Amino acid sequence: MNGTLPIPVIQFLQVATIALAAPGISGVIARVEARLQGRVGPRVLQPYYDLAKLLRKEALAPEGASWVFLAAPVGAAACYLTVPLLIPVLTSFGLPLGYMGDILGGGLILALASFLVAIAASETGSPYAQLGASRAKTFSAITEPVVLFVIFVVALVTGTDLPYALAATVRSSASQIVRPAHLLAAAALFMVILAETGRIPVETHTGTNEFGMIEEARPFEHSGPYFALLKWGSWMKQLILYTILLNVFVAPWGLAATAQAGDVALAIVALVGKAVLLGIVVAVIDNSFAKLRLFKITEYVSAAFLLAVLGVFTLYLGGG
Amino acid sequence: MLAVILLLLILPFAAAAVSLRAPDRVAEAVTAVTGVASFGLVLALVPAAAHHDLDYLSYLRIDAISVVFLMATSFLYAAVAVYSIGYLAPSRRSREPGFTRYSRRFYAGLNLFAWTMMAAPMMNNLALLWIAVEVTTVISALLVAIENTDGAAEAAWKYILIASAGLGLALLATIFAYYAGAQVLGQHYDLSFTSLLQAGARLPHTPVRLAFVLAVLGFGTKMGLFPVHTWLPDAHSEAPTPVSALLSGSLLAVSFYAILRYYQVAAAAVGPAFPRDVLLVFGIASLLLAALYLLDQRDVKRMLAYSSVEHMGILAIGVSFGAPIALAGVFLHVLAHAAAKANAFMGAGVLVHKFGSKRISGITGGLDLLPWSGPLFGIAILALCAMPPFGIFRSEFEIVQGGFSSARYATPAVLIVLVTLAFFGLTVAANRMLLVPARGGAKSLTRGEPSAWMVVPVVAGVAALLVLGIHPPAELTGLLSRAVHQLGTAS
Amino acid sequence: MSATAAVAAPSVYSGGSSVIALGVLLAEFGMFRQALLRDQVRLYAVQSGLISVLAILVAAVRHLPDLYVLAGLSAALKVVIVPIVLRRLLRGIGRAGEDEPAAGWTEIAGSGSLSLANTVLLAIAVAAFGFFSVRALNIHSSVLPVTALEISVSVALVAFVLMITRRDVASQAIGFLSLENGISLAALVVAAGLPLILEVAFLFDLLVAVVVFELLIRVHHGRAESLSTADLTSLRG
Repeated sequence: MNGTLPIPVIQFLQVATIALAAPGISGVIARVEARLQGRVGPRVLQPYYDLAKLLRKEALAPEGASWVFLAAPVGAAACYLTVPLLIPVLTSFGLPLGYMGDILGGGLILALASFLVAIAASETGSPYAQLGASRAKTFSAITEPVVLFVIFVVALVTGTDLPYALAATVRSSASQIVRPAHLLAAAALFMVILAETGRIPVETHTGTNEFGMIEEARPFEHSGPYFALLKWGSWMKQLILYTILLNVFVAPWGLAATAQAGDVALAIVALVGKAVLLGIVVAVIDNSFAKLRLFKITEYVSAAFLLAVLGVFTLYLGGG
Repeated sequence: MLAVILLLLILPFAAAAVSLRAPDRVAEAVTAVTGVASFGLVLALVPAAAHHDLDYLSYLRIDAISVVFLMATSFLYAAVAVYSIGYLAPSRRSREPGFTRYSRRFYAGLNLFAWTMMAAPMMNNLALLWIAVEVTTVISALLVAIENTDGAAEAAWKYILIASAGLGLALLATIFAYYAGAQVLGQHYDLSFTSLLQAGARLPHTPVRLAFVLAVLGFGTKMGLFPVHTWLPDAHSEAPTPVSALLSGSLLAVSFYAILRYYQVAAAAVGPAFPRDVLLVFGIASLLLAALYLLDQRDVKRMLAYSSVEHMGILAIGVSFGAPIALAGVFLHVLAHAAAKANAFMGAGVLVHKFGSKRISGITGGLDLLPWSGPLFGIAILALCAMPPFGIFRSEFEIVQGGFSSARYATPAVLIVLVTLAFFGLTVAANRMLLVPARGGAKSLTRGEPSAWMVVPVVAGVAALLVLGIHPPAELTGLLSRAVHQLGTAS
Repeated sequence: MSATAAVAAPSVYSGGSSVIALGVLLAEFGMFRQALLRDQVRLYAVQSGLISVLAILVAAVRHLPDLYVLAGLSAALKVVIVPIVLRRLLRGIGRAGEDEPAAGWTEIAGSGSLSLANTVLLAIAVAAFGFFSVRALNIHSSVLPVTALEISVSVALVAFVLMITRRDVASQAIGFLSLENGISLAALVVAAGLPLILEVAFLFDLLVAVVVFELLIRVHHGRAESLSTADLTSLRG
């Protein structure tokens, strides 16, 4: 069927794609990583089964926790469902709700979600949760400048900070891909994504390691459906960040240029495919490097900052 | 004339080759003969260079400015070669193990060092000039380390690291100078100094300014200008005395020569005001730093090294004044400082050898115990402090007069004050070493010179200073005035 | 939302060559991170290789056949010979009393005077100064974009930071060699037409300097039994 989809449907499909594909991407990464290590690994759809199981379980809250503890997962999930409206997920043209916020707005909403989860975690009084919350906030504070400089690069290249505009610019000619500022910004963003999604070299994604837990420690006290929401939320964050990197910087091809159903379906497949590929890259990195000790994460972030700053310099001072 | 120039280029290299293989007595004789012969050859160049420039083989160019620096280097080469005979004699007498290897390396290094320092002023090409200065760095670093003490190793490492980094900046200056020339002369011109000078006012301003500042910073590292002089006190005090004399007297001068060439190009391109201001800043800073450090020195050779920094600052200030008489003073100062500093170092070497210590507190009663070297050292110190009738008095007087005549009053006044401070520092130390009666360990020493070979060059140096101070010969004055004319034509 | 005008994209050649030049700068920053001397030498070889690649690219696109020879010679010298010389030097330096002859090769560089993250931030500030100052000079080259000149000056300045903050002679020597790399990159941008004989003379001179560095490092190690410069404080005042 090749009919034209109405715009609200496409908007809904954006959110739905992210929400439904996110656990799958995570499953793919876990499977590939296991295979690289010589194990069989969990099935790719395991995260979905995990979510289903958790939704059936009972929810408990620690004594003394207030309504924030229960509201936070819901709020975070709501944020993560909002951001896909703002970024080019399926289409190369801007959708009406997409003008609600630019990259800065999207970043703000993601930060809000992270903040809510951290608040809930520090509310519990559990040592692990508080540990994770404080570490997560510290490191996101030092990665903020990197993200800002990446946004500056986008702004300098296109004159706006709408992600749609940058995607269009990158698609426009080969010279845009090879320019150093673009490559530097993409590399810096990738390093930040590794930090934000809790991957090597910042954090081990699997297992609990008291000395190194950052993101993984925050949902320690939540259980049942709330825990399901938190896990789902972190998977959605991962896929959202991947989408930003892929559809705006690295590979903005395969997006639907029209509202035709066939194009949109193709766009969904393309997005999932690209995300899977990126996930494989992340799995390879996971297996190739060791986790950095906590105090060395500042070196890692300084390297990312270097890349982002150089991106701005070559752009602003060299026309590169 | 071409024969003279080629001999000047070939003889020291041949002497170095001989020194590597021949027994040490032959080596020292060959070196001494080569040194004196080189000086004679350079003197033969003086009348010709006073009238016209000598261009040969498109890479060699000797004009009046080159001959001034060649004179300084070759005179020191001769003096130091003779001095070394006496300097190494005690080690040979005491049959130290490894002496043969040490003396081979020493003489080969000495000849090569002098060779490169004489080659540098003859180069017409900025890139070859840089290469010559770089080779001097490399050879002199090995010579500084030759003593194989802890201090020498430290000094040599600091020297080569800082000087090479500075020469890296100088290479950047050469590149930018090439770029400036390429805008006017096309991409494939040969970076020769004459072509840049001819292009003169057509050169683009910004690259020339940049090249000049980088050249002052880069070659100034080797010249001893503040703030890149930090290697100088260490290297000059830890090297063997003949090498220190060459370093202070000639190497700093050759680096100054390189800066002068860039000054000529910059003055032709952007006018003399900018280069003069840059040189003034660096000169005053160096002079100030040296004068202050001279007030509190404990090591005699280190003190002389700071005195070198002081005089290099005076040279930079002299060029910045720009008046013809100041420039004449600058060139005369190059010659007189070479002679005086070498004398001072050679005398200090005798003192150190006699008293067995480099520390000023360990040397007392010099005048009594050393009937020749003591007074000669005192004379050298006085000469360095610009005491009449020695050459440095005349040259500094001309510089100050040039300053006043170009309507700057503050800078010459500051110069006089700082030179007086340096005078305090130097003479207090010299007083402690020479006039104070022998104390402590020095009481057991007998009166007498260690070696006549170490006295003769100093006597020759003092004679040269007297000649330069009282009545420079007519050919020399002619040469200097032509040099001034060449340097100042752009003003 | 649109406050600045968009910066137009450079040509593919400009962008590509800028990326390679950027690799040189990133290799320079990478030297801050490398703790082992062996890795620093390898990184230096990578940096020199990138410059040779860039020289070949320029020769191909801008029709300067001299640069092929130059690229080949500098690759032979800086990618092959100098690392071999350094490796032999470091291999020959073992700690006293150790049977392991390769101890010097796997020696950890002396820790710097600042922590790594602080040093990188300082180096970023210094590189920023380099970028801005070259921009202000308004120099245009017909061979490579001005970004490459900015990068080369930044490499030189960051190499100075490297030399200052390192505390052992081998790292300082490698820092000096990377300074020379930065300057040869600048030469590639601004002086690509320099007669070949002069470029060859520069390379030869670099080799001589490396030999002398090696000798002096041996002297230093012979006296101090280590590569550290922490004790080089006796000459003061």
